[in-house]
Amino acid sequence: MNAPMVEAKGVAKSYGALQVLKGLDLTVQRGEVTCLIGPSGSGKSTFLRCINHLEQHDSGVLRVEGELVGYELRHDKLYERSPKQICNQRANIGMVFQRFNLFQHLTVLENITIGQEKVKGVSEDAARRRARELLERVGLDAKEKSYPVQLSGGQQQRVAIARALAMEPKLMLFDEPTSALDPELVGEVLDVMRDLAKSGMTMIVVTHEMGFAREVANSVYFLDQGVIEESGPPAEVLGNPRTERLRSFLSKVL
Amino acid sequence: MSSTESESETSPEVVPLRHYGRWAGIAVTLVVVAMIVHTLISKVPDPTGQTVCHLSHGKKVCQPALVWRYSWNTVGRYLFDPLVLKGVWLTLQITFWAMVIGISLGLVVAIMRLSHSRLLSGIAWSYTWFFRGTPVLIQLFFWFAISIPYPHLTLGLPFLPVTFAHINSVRLLGAMNAAIIGLGLNEAAYFSEIARAGLISVDEGQIEAATSIGMTPAQTMRLVILPQAMRVIIPPTGNEVISMLKTSSLASAIGVMELTGATQAIAAANFDTVPLLIVASLWYLFATTLMSIGQFYVERHYARGSLRTQPPTPIQRLRRDLRGVAMRVRARDAVTR
Repeated sequence: MNAPMVEAKGVAKSYGALQVLKGLDLTVQRGEVTCLIGPSGSGKSTFLRCINHLEQHDSGVLRVEGELVGYELRHDKLYERSPKQICNQRANIGMVFQRFNLFQHLTVLENITIGQEKVKGVSEDAARRRARELLERVGLDAKEKSYPVQLSGGQQQRVAIARALAMEPKLMLFDEPTSALDPELVGEVLDVMRDLAKSGMTMIVVTHEMGFAREVANSVYFLDQGVIEESGPPAEVLGNPRTERLRSFLSKVL
Repeated sequence: MSSTESESETSPEVVPLRHYGRWAGIAVTLVVVAMIVHTLISKVPDPTGQTVCHLSHGKKVCQPALVWRYSWNTVGRYLFDPLVLKGVWLTLQITFWAMVIGISLGLVVAIMRLSHSRLLSGIAWSYTWFFRGTPVLIQLFFWFAISIPYPHLTLGLPFLPVTFAHINSVRLLGAMNAAIIGLGLNEAAYFSEIARAGLISVDEGQIEAATSIGMTPAQTMRLVILPQAMRVIIPPTGNEVISMLKTSSLASAIGVMELTGATQAIAAANFDTVPLLIVASLWYLFATTLMSIGQFYVERHYARGSLRTQPPTPIQRLRRDLRGVAMRVRARDAVTR
């Protein structure tokens, strides 16, 4: 299949009278890292959440691997998919949240095995083996018996990444993964993400880390008030902003 | 403090504050406790006028016999009476089954209450409104009298002339079942509020995370939300169980010979009213004590992951206290030596 990993055309969404997404177009090819930047309230997080259908978009077309997200096209009509079908679609898309959202009642290891066992039906042994591999990969193999409250923010976020990777996703979504972290813990999470990008994972990252975007991203999208104002390779968008809006945004975050 | 006052070379001695008010309070409390203990173990002249006589210097001297004010020997005689033991067993059964109904139905009502459907949440709200708004004693009387409006129960399709089974409702709903159903349905109303509080206490991020790894709504509820809601649900539910144990005494009003009914029946026959009230209270106290201990360990289990360190169990705390005392004694020995 040669369809791009993610393809958005005219995606729009409103909360009541407030239109938060005003027709976004975006294409992400396999293995690409895309960064979404922009001021808070610009709609970047909402857009990211539409991609795995945590939020429902109202109009426009959103495809992941050529398949419509949350809908099925039959006889020129979009039929809402059943929860089961949506769950199957979601299992292929990993998501990492700003506030980690680790399952508080489970140990680090259980956080990573629960999805494999209950959603994918992997055996307990295999799930544990994979969880331990992933913990080693994010540098937390010594913490498997800890509960999330016993970890630092940076460690929790690395576990959250491992939890998402355990589902063997084809696409990873990061929603401001370092915004809730103490400054000295940001680096350890970005390191893991950098490794992940190098391994060829397709990633969409909502971030305020311009250094990361410049270094890792294949393309950068600047959103403001529900509209994509600028997009392109990071050197171009970040190095040579064309709009006044982006120039003033960059001067504030850099 | 004058500046001429010389400061000693070693650090000055610390003089603890004297808590005179606290000492007065302790003294008053001790007097009251002593009075209570005294009256509990005091003896009074036998109210039936019995006397005890003995020979003294060849003369017969008679004095009124002394008996326990609280007739403890009578209490002891009835504590393990078969009727009382059967009453305890019935009380435990009513409590258990009423809580089973209350918790399972209450959970359904709570989930309905949180539903996006206005109709479902409205019906759940009405349920709680109705059962919380009427006295449970009246509800018990109603279930006991259910065979008056419904002499027969039929199992069939609603509004269609199809029946599968036909039961005499008097036989189905004896006093015991009426008590269990009445208390259970009433409990569901209270438990639904407890469960709802627990469910909404779980952070929305947990639901999003579960959803994002592909869990269905049912899996999310069962594997992620409920286990975390339990931490909030357990403590008030423990109170509900203990409260139910005592509320089950209302079943005596519709003739169930549970603990209260049994002891009252015995008392009605032999007028040992107060000793039998004590017998019943002792059994209720015993059962609630066991439940409180159980509650502690269940709470501890569900607190996993909510605290960095678990609170110690009473046994662990006792061991730690003993170690502390031992260390202090050793330290004092070292100083005196």
